[in-house]
Amino acid sequence: MKYEAPLEKYPVNIREAVLGKGEKAIKIGGENTFPFHFFEGSLPDPPGLALEVLDIQPENWSHWVLEPFQDVVSEPVKWAKRCVDVFGAEILCLRLLSTDPMGKDASPKQAAVIAKKVADAIDVPLIVWGTGTEEKDSRVLTEVARLCSGKNLLLGPVLKGNYEEIAQIALEHGHAIVAQASMDVNLTKELNIALCKFFPPEKIVLDTTSSALGYGLEYTFSIIENVKQIGLINRDNMMQMPILADFGGECWRSKEAKESKEQGILWEAITGITFLLAGANLLILRHPDTLKLIKEMISEKK
Amino acid sequence: MILIGEDLNVMSKQISLAIKERNPEPIRKFVVGQTQNGMDYLDLNVGPLTKEPVETMQWLVKTVQGFTDLPLCLDTTNPVAMEAGLKTCKKKALINSASGTSESKEKMLPLAPKYSAGIVLSVINDAGLPSDADERAASILESLEFANELGVPNEDIWIDPVLLPVGVDQRQVSAYLEFIQMIPDLAPGAKSVCGLSNLSYGAPKELKVLLNRTFLVMIARYGQHSAIVSGFDEELIHINKGEIPEIVNLIHRAMNEDDMDISSLPQKEVEYVKTTQVLMGKTLYSHSWLEV
Repeated sequence: MKYEAPLEKYPVNIREAVLGKGEKAIKIGGENTFPFHFFEGSLPDPPGLALEVLDIQPENWSHWVLEPFQDVVSEPVKWAKRCVDVFGAEILCLRLLSTDPMGKDASPKQAAVIAKKVADAIDVPLIVWGTGTEEKDSRVLTEVARLCSGKNLLLGPVLKGNYEEIAQIALEHGHAIVAQASMDVNLTKELNIALCKFFPPEKIVLDTTSSALGYGLEYTFSIIENVKQIGLINRDNMMQMPILADFGGECWRSKEAKESKEQGILWEAITGITFLLAGANLLILRHPDTLKLIKEMISEKK
Repeated sequence: MILIGEDLNVMSKQISLAIKERNPEPIRKFVVGQTQNGMDYLDLNVGPLTKEPVETMQWLVKTVQGFTDLPLCLDTTNPVAMEAGLKTCKKKALINSASGTSESKEKMLPLAPKYSAGIVLSVINDAGLPSDADERAASILESLEFANELGVPNEDIWIDPVLLPVGVDQRQVSAYLEFIQMIPDLAPGAKSVCGLSNLSYGAPKELKVLLNRTFLVMIARYGQHSAIVSGFDEELIHINKGEIPEIVNLIHRAMNEDDMDISSLPQKEVEYVKTTQVLMGKTLYSHSWLEV
């Protein structure tokens, strides 16, 4: 008699989120099984891989990550176009570091104008990221939402202290959001429950915050894995949103990554692949070679 | 279930001031109130009691005994204060608490046979809090053997599996439930006890009682012997006396995972069902668990 391995079936799907508009729009999530379990269920959408762009010249970036962008780091539009045209990024993440109240403290309007220019210059989906400062982000991200109305940006991070303002305006202007709760499944659920009272769950992506290899990666892994398990096995519909992992900065801050280009790229790639194995649906990456490497690895896997 | 009233606690400003000023009146209110509400023991939680441990403990025990005939559960981490209290107790007292740590074995456990007292023995040991039911079992077996050798019979041992807040680690709540069902086999004749309110630490204030009451019913079903509870939660006390059987039945059905159409239930019953599901680990806890 031929042996047939038993297969687990989960009667639910992770929600599918759509990022961006038009031909280049990207879907993430939608799976009804665990990462790479192609033998067991369906994973309709490959993980989304984004490259990051800053709105001001980066400080303290390792030489290896600056290298590919050396001549465009003070021009976000050119930087963004290089990511797309030269390095084949299918998603971008624009960080509005200029708005940091502890730094340049640029006005929401100034930052939103840059975001609009970048969004207009590219045809791939755009993530726009604040500084994680609740009060300032609520002004910055709502301004971005208004100015880029209808572009279906992914705006984040949306936190416990500013979700009402940001999500409301994001909804009015047709954007998706990233709900962030740091390393805690209970608080993740708490924020989702609060959001879903007025915001459509299919426009929410989760960020449980991420650490790099050697610097707490295993905690991030467990949390991402746990969120997915609760969504699929416990069928908790407040935990069935796709998950984002944002760790480029953490990786390239490590002394190991700074030692050599190769080591840095591997550091970032291993961290990223590990989070994909845990269940992340969208990675924000810093080095274009990491993007290439992860792309190759997951396409072979498939 | 045996209920131990927790409300005499130095964490309360009123109590701590009364002890400091040696003023019995504020204490009377808590003692008489808990006694009238039907507590079986009163817990006297005085913390580490670093200042005048002997004199303070003796004053408190005498004062409390002046207002009640209930046996006392002496709750201090200071063995000197503990011994002073034990000497003063008229009835068989309960030592709260000892554990499997070397320090506790050396200083706290020997007080139980010396004063023929009962003793709360937690599963904590030198390695900390065991992470699951099996590790709890291993830890308590080791401590029990030690206690038995000192001359403490199982009947005087009140095992504390250590209840953590559901909002901190839900898996520890599941481990607790699994472990208490193991106690009769692990330690025949031994009793069990827990600090029930710890379960709801950090939960929204108005919802704490719901967690505590639901869990009381759940652990009673699994054979829990006693719990340290608020002596002023009337509904909890009624439930414990078997005066609200419909709530107990409802929680039992939710524990059995019976098919329940909760949409047909009144709001209060829906809340008990949802809370049971959270405490069984079927639903992920969040502070707004009743809203989904």
